[in-house]
Amino acid sequence: MSVGHVQRAIEEAGIPTVSVYIRSFGHIPELMGLSRSLITRHPMGRPLGAPGDGKRQRSVVEAALALLESPTQTIVEFDETYRIESD
Amino acid sequence: MTDNESVDDPPEPDPTETIEELRRSFWYGSRSNLSFKFLKDLPDAEFGDFLDELLTEVAATIDSGDPTGVIDTAYRWQIQGYTGHLGDPNDFPHRFDDVPINPLPKPLSECRVTLLTSSGHFVEGDDPKPFGIESMTQAEAEARIGDFLKEAPSLSSIPVDVDPAQLRVRHGGYPTDAVRSDHQVGLPIGHLADLAADGVIGALNPTAYSFVGAASQVRLKRQVAPEWADRLRNDGETDVVLLVPL
Repeated sequence: MSVGHVQRAIEEAGIPTVSVYIRSFGHIPELMGLSRSLITRHPMGRPLGAPGDGKRQRSVVEAALALLESPTQTIVEFDETYRIESD
Repeated sequence: MTDNESVDDPPEPDPTETIEELRRSFWYGSRSNLSFKFLKDLPDAEFGDFLDELLTEVAATIDSGDPTGVIDTAYRWQIQGYTGHLGDPNDFPHRFDDVPINPLPKPLSECRVTLLTSSGHFVEGDDPKPFGIESMTQAEAEARIGDFLKEAPSLSSIPVDVDPAQLRVRHGGYPTDAVRSDHQVGLPIGHLADLAADGVIGALNPTAYSFVGAASQVRLKRQVAPEWADRLRNDGETDVVLLVPL
């Protein structure tokens, strides 16, 4: 919820935002009225991917940033399950 | 979320404890485990199903050497723990019906991106000193989770070209092991720098920001978040913001 309050405040200040939520908290963007969120199928404490999996982490970041192109509320799931892979 | 209960010193395991006491011990108790603290609120029958599935997967892993089933079981039960018993959406304490949203002011490839996370990162030598305590440990932060949840959070500034060896993380509300071993799990400053170099984004704000998300939600909403938003609007480095909660 913390990031939800911050995301709303930044949008209210006129700045476009996007957030990355894990599936366990994937209900929050809808309930809090967040502008854009990417939902990852990751365990708690690993929002962008496994430690050492830079490829996955970058893909998640890039997918999240792409949501900024949307002018309306957009909440989508990152369509890959969690795996442990190293660079 | 159920982090708003008071926390006492963890009691020793009671040999006569009930199933409920067992479940609760994972929530800042004698068996505190931030990856599984949600067990506190699972019905006993679901707790049994969780153990059953987990042990089955552990047994399978002994022979296969592949932990995928164990990870998947933990993941699915975390989802069940946090979303399986939400109840009426109208009762959600921080529900909003409106959606504040702004369109991109220019193509993403020309935008300056600011990173803001609730991972609790800070740079060595710039300790936010919760409750005036310097060098508070992760264990101490977990023990004082109840105090954190009453206070407004403070925002740490992190130069995006910081030596990763200088990064610290402390957060009493979630498992920090993964971000401790690889900060980019929750603070992707290197990936964003690469995306800027590759022209996907225009530039990266040379300062990233992080705070401890386990904090007073009322103070955050009413006071702190609007102040941070004004700061970003006025810093001249921000066209868009990427937020990463933990």
